[in-house]
Amino acid sequence: MNAVLKIFLSMSVSGGLLILVLLLGKQLLKDKISRQWQYYIWLVVVLRLLLPFGPEANLLGKTYQAVDQAVTRAAPLPQPALGAPGGNPTPAVDLGQNSENTIRPAENLTAAHPLQDIWTLLINHVWLVWLAAALGLLIRKVTIYQGFLRYIHAGLTPVSDIGMLDRLSAAAERAGVRQPVELCVNPLISSPLLIGFFHPCIVLPGAEFGEKDFQYIVLHELTHYKRRDMFYKWLVQVTACLHWFNPLVHLMSREITKACEFSCDEAVLAKMGYDYAQDYGKTLLDAMAAVGKYKENLGSVTLSENKQLLKERLEAIMRFRKKSTAVRLLTGALTLCVMFGAAFVGVYPAVAAGVPNLTDVEKRLLSRSDDLPEIETLEIKGTTYYLVQNEAQLRAIGAYGMDRNYMQQADIQLSADEWTPIGTWDHPFTGTFNGNGFEIRGLTMTDPDAELVGLFGVAKDHAQIYNITLRDYDIASAGKNAAGKSVGAIVAVAYGGRSYDNTVYPRETDNGALSQTEQYADSRTLSRIENYYEAGSLPLFQIAFSRLDEEAQGKWLDRIYADEEIAFLGAVVNLLDEDCASIRHLAETIYEDGNTAFFAALAMQMSEDTLEAWLDRALEDGNWAFQSMLFILLDRDDEFDVLKEQQEREWAEAQKAEYGAVGVTMDGKDYYYQGKLVNVFLDIRSNKSFYTLNMNPKGTVNIKIVRDADNKITGAAYMTEAELTELFGDMDDAGVEIIPVDLKTVGAGKTVFLGEYTLSEGDKIRYDISAETGSGMQVFFAEDEQKDAVYWSVHNLRQQGEPLKCTADFTVKPPAKPGKYKLFIRAADGALGNVKGSISLSLVAAS
Amino acid sequence: MIQQISDAELEIMKIVWGNPQEVTLFPYIMDGLAARGRPCQKNTLIVLLSRLMNKGFLSARKIGRRNEYTALVSETEYQTAQTKNFLDKIYEGSAKGLVSNLIMGDLLADGEYEELKRLLEQGREQL
Repeated sequence: MNAVLKIFLSMSVSGGLLILVLLLGKQLLKDKISRQWQYYIWLVVVLRLLLPFGPEANLLGKTYQAVDQAVTRAAPLPQPALGAPGGNPTPAVDLGQNSENTIRPAENLTAAHPLQDIWTLLINHVWLVWLAAALGLLIRKVTIYQGFLRYIHAGLTPVSDIGMLDRLSAAAERAGVRQPVELCVNPLISSPLLIGFFHPCIVLPGAEFGEKDFQYIVLHELTHYKRRDMFYKWLVQVTACLHWFNPLVHLMSREITKACEFSCDEAVLAKMGYDYAQDYGKTLLDAMAAVGKYKENLGSVTLSENKQLLKERLEAIMRFRKKSTAVRLLTGALTLCVMFGAAFVGVYPAVAAGVPNLTDVEKRLLSRSDDLPEIETLEIKGTTYYLVQNEAQLRAIGAYGMDRNYMQQADIQLSADEWTPIGTWDHPFTGTFNGNGFEIRGLTMTDPDAELVGLFGVAKDHAQIYNITLRDYDIASAGKNAAGKSVGAIVAVAYGGRSYDNTVYPRETDNGALSQTEQYADSRTLSRIENYYEAGSLPLFQIAFSRLDEEAQGKWLDRIYADEEIAFLGAVVNLLDEDCASIRHLAETIYEDGNTAFFAALAMQMSEDTLEAWLDRALEDGNWAFQSMLFILLDRDDEFDVLKEQQEREWAEAQKAEYGAVGVTMDGKDYYYQGKLVNVFLDIRSNKSFYTLNMNPKGTVNIKIVRDADNKITGAAYMTEAELTELFGDMDDAGVEIIPVDLKTVGAGKTVFLGEYTLSEGDKIRYDISAETGSGMQVFFAEDEQKDAVYWSVHNLRQQGEPLKCTADFTVKPPAKPGKYKLFIRAADGALGNVKGSISLSLVAAS
Repeated sequence: MIQQISDAELEIMKIVWGNPQEVTLFPYIMDGLAARGRPCQKNTLIVLLSRLMNKGFLSARKIGRRNEYTALVSETEYQTAQTKNFLDKIYEGSAKGLVSNLIMGDLLADGEYEELKRLLEQGREQL
């Protein structure tokens, strides 16, 4: 909307220039040029003030452009970072660097925002002030005119004197008026006037006019009507209202009123013959004899306006002469000059000027402004960016065009109204959206039937969605009844589109997550790293960790190890220097504890030499577990295989001897205890790092090996029912079927079949699957015969800083029919690596 | 309530009422006015006709450029209304005053008097 005001301001300025030129010209040429011309030339100015069009190159456009550029430079307008479309998303290793990008805007925001907010609010609403004033003025003018009309109508008596009516008829014919003209008398008015836009009515103050006076008066009023002066007058009034802030426009309005009378006088005299000038002047004087009783000159056309004007008019009347050909030629040239001037002065949108694109956009916006929220645009290197500043604009992106370039220009707090994701399967988003570091807060989706859940729905082709900070969003409950849904806080489905450098913070839930404001404010407060750790927020912890000094990092490593948070260890170890003191220190502890898993995580930041040293030590110590791991890490598997074979044999022998000592004998893979075949055999090492579990359904006894704290076998015992239950969990529960998923890789675009299941109404399906690598995963059931129909589908895309997960609960119910379904996992976007988790089916029929 | 009309307007209404045809055309009225010795300009007649339409005396049907005028108020209706108005204004609604004035003022010809009498008798019988 401000764009319209901007255009209006520029029109006002260019119109003002023209007004000055014309006023100046009038002083010089007052009597030399036709009064008609002096009257109608203002029409050019009025049109200049009202119409926002102009030729491509113009004066004002250039000035404005210069001003705009200056503003652009002064304001912290973002440079759109447009990477090549279709590139790879930033790899996870760069996370530390990325997160800096996400943090920085947050710092700026806290500092500079309140002020900026107020300023933008003011600027954004200036147009309202302007429009309100314009409307107010216009309404006031119309009401005054209506009041005046009522006043006139109150004392109106139609003239029934046929003689007078006949003379009026004759005059109308002479003036070329075809419409029947009504003639009335109203003693309340002071001078004759004309009312009515389409049904003219001449109102006289009384019936007693001389034949000549009557003729002049009527002719004068009819000339007004014939020339449609009423419309001109109101056009000027509307212009003056819209440009209320421009004193020059008011001056023009007054000037036009004057010129109107002058030119009317001229026209009347041209018809009557200039010899009658004196008579006509006398009529004017007589008409003025009575003093006005009402402000009559507004909106109606009166014979005489006021005394000062009357004097000028009388002078002019006496000087009216037919203009010579030379003067006429001059007038023609002048007209061209003024019109050309008006066009050249131009307006701002034509600025626009150099850049045809923007002109089109602006015009389009103007024409559609009634049904779309107004949006400002910005031109950078030939590309037009739509500047999204508020919720209405954000919600209207689909209406502006899915293929446009959008740039966020302010933090946007969304209302709790259901969010409609931008882009659908039918109309995918294909443009760009630059969040610009600004935030979008409070996105809410609760529609249980939503199939696309996220800020964006479907993004396709060269779509790029980046730099978005999505805070305090709530989409957890959306789509729970949908037969198939795609979820992603930023983008639900991106086919070929890119989404990067986005940061998301869900709305606080009860599971102990940090409050948003706390996270927000703490991003710089290092001591609050604790909070991230407690909340299990890996990415934020990583960021904070990277900013600690080495000593603090060492302390955290110890703590992570003590808490056995291997995920955290894996995440932060990359941030440390190779072979640094804290790694060496921790490695020693881990080795002593014999914890291979943690050691492997730590080994990522150890040099080959260090690993060799550790291997030597492991070989020396006969630490088989560490040997195997270090061989693999050093890529010396061949060597290891030989060693392994030998060692395994040695180890198996030793193990067999150990078991034999407590009464467990081995025959191939079968275990015997006290002569009986063993069903379940369990041997858990004291540090739980590895265990032996053997099952033989033919067996009759369940045995476990008992070890002491030093890992020495002290005996064998029968396992209790409770221990068996603990071991196998509720695997035997009749109604629940757990389908474990453990896939090393799923090729890009490939679908893996996981089995066929019979589902009946009321069955509950729970997915809980995550993939370590890859960016899109879909889990779904499909009907036997129809491969296209997909049921209970979850299709998720990786969001920056989040693991790729498909977690969802479904209930089998209509429209889905009970029956046989096949279960699949699909790598929707690139290959998937280390797909793990489970799918559990709570079957009603089975229980 | 039938509105008041000016003399010029009444003149036109009389022509319309006097027209045996169902509808009256513009030239007919124009000619009628000229025949009654009160010719007027075209525009004048148009204005007067439009006033009559506004007052609900006439209705016009436009067929091309031709206007067909129909009287909405009959001559009798108008006369009755006018008489009532006259009675109210001058005789305070008393018809007796009017008749007595007519007789006293010698405004009735003998024949008319007899006829009126007969009309009165007839009216009484009907009641």
